[in-house]
Formats: sequence, structure tokens, C-alpha cells
Amino acid sequence: MFRLLAAFLVIVLGIAATLALSSPAPRADFTIINGGDPTTLDPIAASWLRDIRLMRCLHEGLVRSDVTKDDLPIEPALAERWEVSPDGRTYTFHLRHATWSDGTPLRSTDFVYAWLRGTLPDSAADYTSFFFHIAGAKEFFDWRTAALAAFARQERAPGRAEALWQETKAAFRTMVAIGTPDDRTLTVRLVRPVPYFLDICTSVAFVPLCEPIVSRYEVVDPSSGRVKWDTGWTRAAPSIGAMRLESWRFKREIRLSKNPAYWDASNVWINSMAILSIDDPVSQSMAFQTGAVDWVSDVVAPFRAEMVAAKNAFRAAHAPAVAALRERGMGPVAIDRALPPDPRKSTHVFPAFGTFFWNLNCSPRLPDGRVNPLADARVRRALAMAIDKRAVADGVRRLGESIAGSLVPPGSIRGYTAPAGLPRDPDAARRLLAEAGFPNGSNFPTIELLINKEQNTDLVAQAIAKDWQRELGITTAIAVKETKVFREQVKNANYITSSASWFGDYPDPTTFLDINRTDDGNNDRRYSSAAFDALLSKAEAEPNAAARAALLAQAERILVEQDLPMIPIFHYVNLNLFNPDRLEGISSNRRSEQQLFRVRPRGPEQGRTTETQRHREERMLQGTAVSTQSLFSVPLRLCGELLRTDANP
Amino acid sequence: MIGLILRRLIQLPLILAIIYTATLILAWKVPGNPLENPEGRRPAPEVVAAMKAQYNLDNFWSFYFSYLDSASGLRALRHAVSGESRAARDEALAAGRLPPSQPIFDLGPSLSYREQRVNEIIGSALPVSMSLGALAIFFALVMGVSAGVIGAMKPNSFADIATLSLSMIGISLPSFVIGAALLLVFPVWLGIGRIPSWGTPLDMILPAFTLSLGFAAYIARLTRMSMIEQLQSDYIRTARAKGVSVRGVVLRHALKNALLPVLSYLGPASALAMTGSFVVERVFAVPGLGQHFVNAVKNKDLFLIIGVVLIFSTFLVLLNLAVDVLYRVVDPRIE
Repeated sequence: MFRLLAAFLVIVLGIAATLALSSPAPRADFTIINGGDPTTLDPIAASWLRDIRLMRCLHEGLVRSDVTKDDLPIEPALAERWEVSPDGRTYTFHLRHATWSDGTPLRSTDFVYAWLRGTLPDSAADYTSFFFHIAGAKEFFDWRTAALAAFARQERAPGRAEALWQETKAAFRTMVAIGTPDDRTLTVRLVRPVPYFLDICTSVAFVPLCEPIVSRYEVVDPSSGRVKWDTGWTRAAPSIGAMRLESWRFKREIRLSKNPAYWDASNVWINSMAILSIDDPVSQSMAFQTGAVDWVSDVVAPFRAEMVAAKNAFRAAHAPAVAALRERGMGPVAIDRALPPDPRKSTHVFPAFGTFFWNLNCSPRLPDGRVNPLADARVRRALAMAIDKRAVADGVRRLGESIAGSLVPPGSIRGYTAPAGLPRDPDAARRLLAEAGFPNGSNFPTIELLINKEQNTDLVAQAIAKDWQRELGITTAIAVKETKVFREQVKNANYITSSASWFGDYPDPTTFLDINRTDDGNNDRRYSSAAFDALLSKAEAEPNAAARAALLAQAERILVEQDLPMIPIFHYVNLNLFNPDRLEGISSNRRSEQQLFRVRPRGPEQGRTTETQRHREERMLQGTAVSTQSLFSVPLRLCGELLRTDANP
Repeated sequence: MIGLILRRLIQLPLILAIIYTATLILAWKVPGNPLENPEGRRPAPEVVAAMKAQYNLDNFWSFYFSYLDSASGLRALRHAVSGESRAARDEALAAGRLPPSQPIFDLGPSLSYREQRVNEIIGSALPVSMSLGALAIFFALVMGVSAGVIGAMKPNSFADIATLSLSMIGISLPSFVIGAALLLVFPVWLGIGRIPSWGTPLDMILPAFTLSLGFAAYIARLTRMSMIEQLQSDYIRTARAKGVSVRGVVLRHALKNALLPVLSYLGPASALAMTGSFVVERVFAVPGLGQHFVNAVKNKDLFLIIGVVLIFSTFLVLLNLAVDVLYRVVDPRIE
């Protein structure tokens, strides 16, 4: 028997020895947790915020947003300048002298190649339709789809798939209005004037790819005629951005190093960057506490409300100083930096480009065939005015989120003023409900509040349900569904009311408003308003930016003050962890857009302390202030709340 | 013995085929489109159709057979025989591209981690889970068997009740509580160890210990029960009467027989431990296989779901076979 155990021990030690990989790499200048491992390094497939943040380091487009300014103006990136034709449809970009990290010069055809990939149905991804703003792109997409279908019906023959691919590349050049008069000029003609086209160009789907290298990874499938790219390309392709990919050890760590060929390399202060893959929200916070990481994006630990409360208490203790600093026009991080050292300073609440709202089904009939009382806009307005949003934000969420009157977060889009929305007014709500034929909620059917089990919206739903019950006399029921079932039910309008949220994908009000168009694929509320649709169409054709913004604001006013297909509840915030005395360059702009290559370590040793040094310092800092709190409350919370949130993404 | 091994190995593909079919039907029925971001904008219908066509997701049967074809290695074999893989290689090289890489057993791409193929994911995660699981089982054996023996020596004594209570705690306390508490005490408060807890061999201790507790508790109870039974049997009394010391009786005679039930538990337990634990991996940021069991289903990542299920089934069958073989070695009476 002991021989058996010994044999087992030998196996264990053998495995452990083979696995005693390398010792961890030396600490990078900037080590972060970016909400788990990225899902992709392919710019056209990136739609998660964490992927996009990483892309911003590796890639760069024609233009970029200046994240250091609150309203994120467009600034030149790979295009040093550009002209727009008087009709607003043709853009001419003049590229700067830039080289890829392997020394290959950037050419305008690198954009054409990348945009071809982005438009192909073969590699279709969430943002393929962004390219449809370019004249001929939609036609090309349909042509290729038809050509692939035709190919699948025909006999297989050697070389046919290859011929189709060559034909497709030629078709892209002839059908789609992208011109390359020379290596450093790119012209784009749009279907119609799109005043926010430059904003779209900041999206990562529009970055160039080094054609000579990436094209070597094309794989033409002889049986279907489709083209895909061998996944190895993302790791082999040279970078045009501030950083280049050093290594990606899946689910372990990503390492980036400074790209010396970057055109703006003199403004990049870090030589190396490491992104650790830690999924568990509690472990993420603890990793920051031990000093293993410099920055944690989106903190979702169950005790985050307490973190925010501690930060607020710290600010309150220094209230006069904070007020004086704010007076001088300092931003939130700069204010923290000017205050005395304290571990609570490391919690930062920044606005996010997203809104939490409550969906109201507007269809004339409910899923079970009954007449839908919510089809009446007066009822929807009554429901909206009965909710105490302040109680939801300050009593339930406790994260410092601002309550929402509009769908578009105020101030998040340059030149756009979102409407104020409806105020809370229970008396007016009761009157409206009576007008609609339900005095004191009589004859009103039970309203179901559908929520997703995994989004921690149960308390918010309870608060809303209680308001409707108390103020309007409506009976309510809360239905909790598993994510996928929830998503299907909402998508098919198989609900009465449901929780919902929306994050903008490009900086234009239409990114929020379009989801309420009659035929939009994201119109889960089945809302249909001729006036609203007409205003959006009118805005689409309006070349003047200011007039267009006014039209869009008018459209949003219909949504949030008159028709209420959804009730905006609060605008999201993004919780960050970093020590402001050690790090600068993390942006607090209104769209939580980060360009991490702009960060700069601070402090006596430029932040490049060793792990143990840092360890000791952090521990001294935490000292008495945190220990009593963490000794008792954190473990208790761990036990109590992990149960609920552990399975969260 | 060889007959047994051969018989089981021949059964394996059949078992895997049945599991594959059942898993695919279940996974296919899960609502949702794995190719779109669950929270963002839904792509236009024609884009969705194109997305699904990329991965054969538009038709159940064509997916069923094409996956079976490539995962079983039949496709690679066919292409090698017909010379098609060579032709594709030459064509790619002629067009100035890299030759396509074609693994023999191709488990397909991952739909949620687009850059990774399922083969690569399993290839990088399985060794991690295996070594962590092996160490955990080792811890569990050491702790469980010693606790069981201590308890069985004097049933209902203080030591017995203490070990029984400890093992009860081990079974009842969820590992995310123990794991988080260990992280808080060791790396955060005492500065021993680090987060993320993977990379050096020492990093393995905390997660392996956490993972082992549940198994250790079960093993302790099994050992105690069968040890008490053995200690009361005739041959022990004879041995004691002959003057063998307590120590000698317990270690040389009783323990050998008492460990048989533990051995049969070890098969499924090792399969479970060595294919990863979702919670332990998540808390300690261990890059193992366990997280994929849960996340793949959440993301409806069909290829990854089937991949991890097939790997787990293979482990279960092989480790049960190993236990059966060991059984015969330990106890020659078993046929």
C-alpha cells in the first residue's frame, strides 16, 4: 500500500516539476487587471470594453479621441490632417510618415485591406454594419454573400475557391468607394453625409492592418470558398500603436512592450505593461491590496458600495480642501492627489457611457393575448413618474451613480444636450393613471418585472415594484430568469416590463436613440412612433451638426418626456482602483474611454518599486485604518455575498 | 487483465460518441447566439446569418457530422490519404501564404475566445488542472487517511469526534469561502504567497489545499468506517494475540484492507479533481480547465462545451479503469 502511495507521490512530484514553469516574469512598469482575459485580439471582432481597451494600445486608427479632455475631441492619429468635401460625403485623409513595429512603412492600402476584412460576410462581426456608411459597402457585402451561396451549390474544382477570393478582392476595390491615390492618401466616399463619421473612425474596427504580413495568414476553404485568417495572425502581426504584443499566455498574462516605431513614442512613459488574468472580483481587489497590480478596471466586488462609502467619508473629512481644489478647476484625480496619503484614495468612481433603464412593452397585446395597458403612453408616463430614482441610486445601488432623466448620459457627447426627462411626481402619476381608466390602480392587471438572475438587479426591481404598488396601487410580481432565457424573452417582447441597460458604441446620440426605431433589431419594447422615426430620418439627412443635434434632442424628448417606451433610472459609473500618488494618465472622461499607453508612473522611484518594497509600504499604509474594517466585515461579506455574486461574469 | 484493459479501451469511443450526441443536443437547445456580445447591439439579421454560416451553426445535422468528422480524426486521415492536405499546402505556399496547420483530432475553434482553438485551450489548461488535482488528491489522501485512522483507533473518543467534526466542516464549507479566507489571511495580511496564485510550484499549495478539503473529508469518513470494521475482524485479533504491536496491526494489516473503499472512491475523485474546479480556479486565478465547464455553457460555446465534456469523460473512463486494475493488484481475489 505504501508503495502505491509512493508511486502516487512520484507522479505528483513529476507533474509539479514539469509544471514548475518559469518563475513569474519581472514586474512590468504597469501591471493591470482588465476585467479578465480578453476574448480576442482581432480588432474587427472586439466589442467588449476590455478588448477595446487593449486594442487601443496595439492599434491606432486615422483619428482618435483625446481622452484627457472631458468631451473627448477628435485629434489626429495616423492621419495628420484631413479634408471633407462641401457635400459632407467625401473624406480625404493624409497619412503621416509612420512605420509598423517591424519597420514596414504604413501605406494607404493597409487601410483598404483591413476594411475589406471588416466588410466581408466571411468574418462578420458585431460592427460589420459600421462599414455600410461607405458607398458600395453594403452592395459588396450582399454580392459576396450571394457569391458564396452560389459557390456552395457548384461542383468542387481545384483552384476555384482561390479564384473567387481574387475576384472578391478586385470587386471590393471597384464596388466600394475607398480610394488610394497614393501610398499616403486615403479617400472615402459615404452613402450620405455622416457628421459623426470621424467618431466612427475612432472605433477599433477601422484600424489598418499590415497587409504584407496579415495576408500570409489567409486560409481559403476549398469546400465553402470562405476566407478566414489563421488565428496566429494576431500574435504575429506588427503593431502600429503605442505598444506591441510581447506574449499572450492564455488565461495567465498578456505582456506588451513599448513600440519604438510609434509615431508619438516620445509621449509613451512605460516600457512594459502586463495584463493579469484574474476573473474573480474579490481576488481582483485583493490583488490590488497586496500591491500586485497598479490598476483594476471595473471593480465589481460585492463590497464595492462600502468602498465608495469609505471614499466619500475620506472626501468628507477633507471637505473644505476638496471644495477649494474644485474651485480651482481640478479634476477628481488631481484633487485626490493633492490630499494627504490614504488607502481610501485609491477608489475612483468615473462616469460610464451607459444607462440603466426599465423596458416597458408597448405592443397592443400582452404575450398571453390580453390587451396591454402599457400600450397607452399615459400609463407609461405614470409608471415613470411614480418611481423614486434617487432611492434606487442612493439607497439600493450606493455607488454614486447619477439618476437618469434621459437615455443619453448628459455631457457624454460633444455638442449634444440631452433633455431633462420627467420629474418624480406621484400625484401627476395617479392623475394620468386615472385618466387612462385605472383610478387608484383598479382593474389594472398584475405587472410583472422581469429581471436577469445574474445582474444583481433584484433589489432595484423590488424598489421599483414597491413604488408602483404604493403610489399607484398596482399589484406587481418579480420574475427572475436565467441570463439566456431572459435575453430571449426580452428580444421576443415576451414580457411586460424588464430591466435593461445600454452602452454607447460610438459617440453620437444615435447610438442610444436608434434602438427605439420601429424596425431596429434592438427595439425590444416594440415601440413605434412615426414622429420619432421621422425626426431621426430628418437628422440623418441634416448636414449641419448643430441643427442635427437639435433634431436628435427633439427626438429624445419624445422618448423620455412623452412616450416613455423605457424609463431611464440611472447612468452607470465605472469603479477603478489605482493609487493616484503613484500613477497618472488614467482618464476620468464621461465615456470611461481609456488609452492606457498614456499612463505615467509617479513618485520618487517613478513607481517602479519592487514588489516586496511596495508590499511593505502598502501594508504600512493600510495599517490601522483598514485592518479593523477588513478583519471583521470583509470575511463576513465574503461568506454572505459571494454566494450571490460568485458566478457573475 | 489485458483483456479487461482492451475491452474498456474498445468501449471508450462508443461511450464518447453517445456522450457527444447527448451533449450536443442539450447544448444546441440552449437559447441564444454564441457569436454576439450578450449585452451590446444585436448585429443586423444578414450579419447574424453570415456569422452562423462561418461555423456551420445554421444546421444541426451538418454541424453534428462535420464536428464528428474532424474531432475523430477521420477528416485528417481522409485528407492525408487523398493528398488533399498536401494540395492545400502547396496552393497556400504558391499564393505566398503560410501553410494551414491541421491537427489530427481537431476539436474546432472556440466561439467565446475567438483567437484560441479548443485544442489549444485544453492543451494549456489540462496540465494545470491535472497537476493541481493530483496534488489535491495527494493532500486529501494524507489528511483523510490519517484523520480516519486516528478516529478509528478509539471510536467516540475526543480525537475521533474532533476529526469527524473537522471533516464535517470540510464537506460543508464551500471552497469559495475557504479560498477567499485563505487569500485574505496569507497573501493579504501575512504577505505569504501572492495573487494571482499561479506560476511557481509554491503557488500551488493554497489552491490545492482548498481543493483537497472536500475529498479529504470524504476519505476520512470512508477510512474510519472501514478501519473500525477491519479492527474488529478475526485476523486482527489473531495478529494481536500473536503479539504484533498495535502500530504493526494498524499499519501493516488493517490499513491495507481498509483502504479498498478509498481506492474505489479515488477513481471518480481523481477525475473530478484533475479536470479542474470552477470555484477554486476562479478564486485563485488558476488557468485550469474547470472554469471552461461553466463559462462555455454560459457563453454557449458549443465547441468548447463538447471539448471539455469529452475530456472529462475520457478521464473518468480511464481513471476508473486504472482503479479496477489497481484493485486486482491489491486484492488478487477480485476477478
